[in-house]
Amino acid sequence: MAKGVLVDLTKCVGCGSCTVACKLWNDLKWDPQNPTVGDKVKLNDKNWTVVGRHEVKDKDGTPVWRFVKQQCFHCKEPACASACFAKAFQKTKEGPVIYYPHLCVGCRYCMVACPFNIPKYQWEKTFPLVTKCQMCSTRVAKGEAPACVSVCPAGVFKYGDREALLKEAKSIVAKDPKYVNHIFGEQEVGGTSWLYLSDIPFEQLGFKTNVTHRPLPSFTEKYMQATPYVAITWGAILTGLYHYTKRRNQIAKENNKNIKA
Amino acid sequence: MQNQADKQKQMTRRGFLKMMGGIGLAGITASIAGCSTDPAGGKGWMPQQYQVASSWPIQVKGRVPIDPNNPSIVRDDQKCILCGQCVEVCEKVQTVFGYYELPIKDDITCVNCGQCTLWCPTAAITERDDTARVLAALKDKNMHVVVQTAPATRVGLGEEFGMAPGTFVEGKQVAALKKLGFDAVFDTNFSADLTIFEEGTELIRRITGDLKEPLPQFTSCSPGWVKFCEYYYPDLLPHMSSCKSPQQMLGALIKTYYAKEKGIDPEKIFSVSIMPCTAKKFECQRPEMNSAGKHVGKPALRDVDAVLTTRELARLLKSQGIDINNLPDAKYDSLMGESSGAGLIFGATGGVMEAAIRSAYFLITKQDPPAAFLNLTPIRGLKGCKEAAVDIPGVGTLKVAVVHGLSNARPVLEAVRKKEAPWHFIEFMCCPGGCISGGGQPRTSLPPSDTVRQARINSLYNADANIYKERKSYENKEVLALYEKFLENPNSHLAHELLHTEYVDRGKKLTAKKTV
Ligand code: SF4
Ligand code: SF4
Ligand code: SF4
Ligand code: SF4
Repeated sequence: MAKGVLVDLTKCVGCGSCTVACKLWNDLKWDPQNPTVGDKVKLNDKNWTVVGRHEVKDKDGTPVWRFVKQQCFHCKEPACASACFAKAFQKTKEGPVIYYPHLCVGCRYCMVACPFNIPKYQWEKTFPLVTKCQMCSTRVAKGEAPACVSVCPAGVFKYGDREALLKEAKSIVAKDPKYVNHIFGEQEVGGTSWLYLSDIPFEQLGFKTNVTHRPLPSFTEKYMQATPYVAITWGAILTGLYHYTKRRNQIAKENNKNIKA
Repeated sequence: MQNQADKQKQMTRRGFLKMMGGIGLAGITASIAGCSTDPAGGKGWMPQQYQVASSWPIQVKGRVPIDPNNPSIVRDDQKCILCGQCVEVCEKVQTVFGYYELPIKDDITCVNCGQCTLWCPTAAITERDDTARVLAALKDKNMHVVVQTAPATRVGLGEEFGMAPGTFVEGKQVAALKKLGFDAVFDTNFSADLTIFEEGTELIRRITGDLKEPLPQFTSCSPGWVKFCEYYYPDLLPHMSSCKSPQQMLGALIKTYYAKEKGIDPEKIFSVSIMPCTAKKFECQRPEMNSAGKHVGKPALRDVDAVLTTRELARLLKSQGIDINNLPDAKYDSLMGESSGAGLIFGATGGVMEAAIRSAYFLITKQDPPAAFLNLTPIRGLKGCKEAAVDIPGVGTLKVAVVHGLSNARPVLEAVRKKEAPWHFIEFMCCPGGCISGGGQPRTSLPPSDTVRQARINSLYNADANIYKERKSYENKEVLALYEKFLENPNSHLAHELLHTEYVDRGKKLTAKKTV
C-alpha cells in the first residue's frame, strides 16, 4: 500500500527539528545564505526541506504566525518522472518519488515539469545533479517513517497508508471547524503522498493552489514544448545520450537493478 | 569485481560524452565520482531513538523552538544532533514547552531561562554573545564603563578556569574586571541589600493593609520566573512585588545616583552586568527598564546596556589573555560596592527569603534578630519547595515558602489561585538551585548536577557565615547612605520611580494548557 504523510500545520511550532533530521539523514551540507527555518527560507540542492514562517491573520483577523514545512509532495502521478526519459525519477510502490543519480543525464526536464518547482540543480558543482526530497525511501522501505516525520516533537505529522490518512483527514476537517475545508494534496495534480491540513487558507501560506486536479503526466508533452531552448541547444547531445542511456538501462535490466519500467 | 569493471567502462564513456558536450552540463553524474547505483539520499546518520519501524511515539524527541530574535539564547543548527535534551529540560523541569495549546499565536513561548544551554550536549544552544559590544565600549575613550557582578558569578567563574566547583573567586573576579578596563566595579549584592529594604517594606505594608495588594507577596528578582508568571498566571500578577530585580535597581542608580555623585553625564555611561542568567539579557531590554533615562529626560537611555553571562565573561577574559588564577584579590569600588552576607545569599535558592527574614525582624522590632534567624536551615538546600514559619514579636507568625525550578512553582501557584495558600511571602526562582545554577553559569556538569549546585550553594553560605563582616542588609552602610543622600526612605516617591516596576499580561500570547 502506498504510504503518505499527513501534515497538520496548526500544530507546528517552528522548531526546525525536521529540517535538521533531513540534513543528518541525507548528509546534506548547510547553506548559511539560505536558512532552513524562518522568514528567508529557500529550497535548494542542499535544503531538501524547509520550514517557512508566515505572518497571517486568523479567522478573527488577529495576526498569527504559521510555520509551513515544504518538501517534494511525492505526487501519485509525478510529472517529474514522466518527463524524465532517462528514468532517473521513479515512483516507488511505497509512495516516494525517488531519484537515481547514476541514471540522470542532467537535462533538467524534471525541473521544468514539476508543477511545484521542487527539483533543484547543483549549479555550483562541476558534475551537477538534480536533487530533491526522497521521502527517505530507504527508511520507508524498512517500514520506518521519513527522518523529518520521526523527529517532530509537536505531533505535526502522521505517517501511514495514504488512503487511510486521507480518510482521517476528512473526518478531522468535518469535526473541527477550525480547519479550512481543503486537504491539500487530496486532488492537486491528481493527488500527492503528502497531505496537508490548515486553519489558514492554503494560498495565504504560499501553497500553489491553482494547479490542475488532473494528473500531470498527461500534460507533459506541453511542458516539453515550453522549453525549446533546452531541446534545440542540446538536442543532438541528448539524443546521443538517450541512446546511450537506453543501452545502459538494458544493462541495468539485465543486472536486475533499479529499473522498474 | 565484474560490476566495478562495468562502472569503469561506463565512466569512460561518460567522460567522452561529456567532452563532446563541451561543458559540464550534460549527463555528468555521481557515477563519475565513482559512486553507486543507489537512489539519492539516506547516507547520513540519525540518533538511535529515531531508528524505529514506523513513527512510534518515543520519550525524547526533537528540540525546542527558538525565535531568531530571542534576546537571550541562540542556536547553531549545524551543531544540533536532535538529542532532545533541550525539550526535556524545557518541558519537564521548566514546564514551558508543551504547556500551551496549538496552534501558537504570534510568539514562541520562552522564559529565556537558558536552562537548555546547560543541557545541550553539543553547545548548539548558547547565550546571545554580547562580548563584542562590551569590548567596543571598553575601547571607547569617551565612555565611562561601569560593571556590576551578581552574587552567583563569584562561585561559578572559577570553574571556567579549572577550579573546583563552587570556588569563591570574588576578589579575583573584581581584579579581572579592573584589568579589563572597567572604570568602576560595583556589586549587585549591594542592590540585593537594597531590595530587602524595598521589598521588606512592601511586605509589611501589605500585611498591615497600608498597601491594598494581596498576600502572599511573590519575589520578583528572577526575570525568568517573572515572565513565566506573566505568561501562565497573569491573574496572579498583583501578588508580585513591584520591586525591580537587583540588576535593574543598580542599573537605574548607576545613571542617576552615581552619575550625580561623580558628576558624570549619564549619556556617557555604559552600564554592564555580569550575571549567571540569560533571562537578564531579556530583562534589561524590557521597554520599561529606562527609569534613569526618564528621570534625566533622556528616555532612550537604558538602565543596563549589556549583560554578560559568567561564561561570556570567561570567554572575554581568555580572549584578552587574563587568567584569574594568577590575579591577586581586589576590592569593589565604593558608593555601591559594599555588601552583607544577606545580599550574597540571594544567589542560592532560599537566600532572598532568609535575607528578608533577617531584616524584617529588625525593621519591625528595631532589634537584631536571634541567632537562629542567621541559619534558617528549613529553607536552605535543594528540595523543590520549602517552607518555614518564624515568630516576629508584634506581628505574629510569618509563614513563608521557597520554590525553585518552574515545575515546582505550578502547584504552589495553583494553591494561590484557589486561595488555599497559607503563606505571607513566597520566593520563586526560575532555575533549579537558584541563580547559582542559572542558564549562564559554567557547564561544569552535563546536564547540571546537584553536586555542582550544592558546592556553589555551600560556598555562598560559607562566605556569609565566615568571610563577610556584615550579615544583615540593614547593616550595609552604603545602602543607608544612599537613602540618606538620595532616596530618603524605602518606598519613597523617588524609590518608586527608580526601583519599582510594573508587569505585562502575556496571557494573550498563548492559550495555557490546563495542567492540574
Ligand atoms: S512534487 Fe514535483 S518533484 Fe515531487 S513528485 Fe511531484 S512532480 Fe515530482
Ligand atoms: S519538527 Fe514538527 S514542529 Fe518542528 S518545525 Fe518540523 S513540523 Fe514543525
Ligand atoms: S530558555 Fe528556558 S524557556 Fe526558553 S527554550 Fe530554553 S529552557 Fe525553554
Ligand atoms: S539539546 Fe542541543 S543538540 Fe540536543 S536537540 Fe536541543 S539543540 Fe539539538
